[in-house]
Amino acid sequence: MSEIKDFNCTYDNSAGIHADVTKELGLTFPDAYMHGDTMVVLSKALRGHNGAAFCELPFCHTVEAEAMGGIINYGNEKAGPRAKEYICTSVEELLELPEIDFTTGRIQEVLKACEILRGQNEQTVLQVSGPFTILNVLIDAKHVFKAMRKKPELMKEVFWKLGKEVLRFMEEAKKRGVGLLSYADSPGGVNILGPKMAEQIVEDFTYPFLKKAELLADGDTMVLLCPKTVFALLGTGKAELREIELQEPLPYGEACIRMKGRAKLAGQMCIKNVGYCLENRIFKEVVLR
Amino acid sequence: MSAKEELLKRLSDGVVDMEEDDVAETAQEYLDAGYPAFDGIMEGLVDGMNRAGQLYEEEEYFVTDVLLCSDAMYAGLEILRPYLPEEAGETKHKGVIGVVEGDTHDIGKNLVKIMLETAGFDMIDLGRDVPLRKFVDTAREEGAEFICMSTLMTTTMGGMQDVIRILEEEGMRQQMKVMIGGGPVSQKYADKIGADGYSQNAVEAVKLAKRLLNITNDGLGMR
Repeated sequence: MSEIKDFNCTYDNSAGIHADVTKELGLTFPDAYMHGDTMVVLSKALRGHNGAAFCELPFCHTVEAEAMGGIINYGNEKAGPRAKEYICTSVEELLELPEIDFTTGRIQEVLKACEILRGQNEQTVLQVSGPFTILNVLIDAKHVFKAMRKKPELMKEVFWKLGKEVLRFMEEAKKRGVGLLSYADSPGGVNILGPKMAEQIVEDFTYPFLKKAELLADGDTMVLLCPKTVFALLGTGKAELREIELQEPLPYGEACIRMKGRAKLAGQMCIKNVGYCLENRIFKEVVLR
Repeated sequence: MSAKEELLKRLSDGVVDMEEDDVAETAQEYLDAGYPAFDGIMEGLVDGMNRAGQLYEEEEYFVTDVLLCSDAMYAGLEILRPYLPEEAGETKHKGVIGVVEGDTHDIGKNLVKIMLETAGFDMIDLGRDVPLRKFVDTAREEGAEFICMSTLMTTTMGGMQDVIRILEEEGMRQQMKVMIGGGPVSQKYADKIGADGYSQNAVEAVKLAKRLLNITNDGLGMR
């Protein structure tokens, strides 16, 4: 049996929009989620509220799926954008979805916000979603799980179709100065998939995908991983951790910013856990084998 | 093994093996042979689902496996259910279940619903991204005894507390049990918001519902 461990998401982190922040900004919702300039205002306000070293974009996990045709409920100041109704009833239909056009829609606005924040010398963490998160908007998960068992080759094609779009999104973001590209796919965690299927996903998709994604890392850019993904890589022997000593104890986010150029991949903690401090001065780079 | 027992075993095995088509075919064969639908459901399909639940508890099966088992079970139920004899006066314990507003992750909720239904509860599934008031309104309209809420997102957990508050405001809290679950949810959180119980997984949710509703016998027949 695989040794993939699970990472438990907790509720004492920075996730979410805080009403006490939004009411002072004079923004209207869900309009504020739709435009680059208001995204910037909101993102900076949340950064200040959370005491984080970086701004986060976007405020949901539906941007990629929407850009591929997904139908979104844009929400309000309390609950952000989320899936509305599924557009596919078979996995075959997923392969017919269009490629993302980065010059239109909300995804264009997100990229515009990235560019504005860069111009204001802000450090930005762009949250990008993995295939299970994207699929959650597009199709009922039961079709996905069934196809993974009955039509694994077809599902591999689906994962890579989505994966290529995510890579393109990351490239576009990098062009606009995003320094921290954060990849997560929590609905595809071992707690949902079980060890056998989780291992298969690492083999078929996550590992080769991240081999491509890490090519984006350089002196200005680092790829952050959700700890669930890190555990999946470690548990399947596809990665190891390399310790880098910091000069002083630092909040994890701050450490990531400082490690750009020295580490390609990081993921020892959830980036949303802004209060997490590396007291022992040990930063752990995720090194793919 | 008699011919009936053999068919029941095939139904049960088909559910455990997630073979939806085989289960549907066997269910039809079972009916054509003149055997009672009730036994086919209880000793075939539900038996298979209980075995799947056991495998889940033992960590042999995982969420995705149990979901596929349930697809097979429902394929069989669709064929057998119309042939159940009418029984007047039967009451089932009724619950309302859904994913709270703002969240669309419904895998865990679906699993809990399936296991509760398998255990004989009558579950009203409100789906995902459910407006908070709808939990309360539906529970009132349907005469439910308990509400189950889940969320995978930290941002939407607060909605669970709002539902409890609405129940209190409407004077319904005393007669309504509230169960919560989901990735970031814990017993600590349940205690904090005043929920009656938390369960970590679907099998535990069934035990919790039975405990909260003081159900001690196994008289919950799936119909």
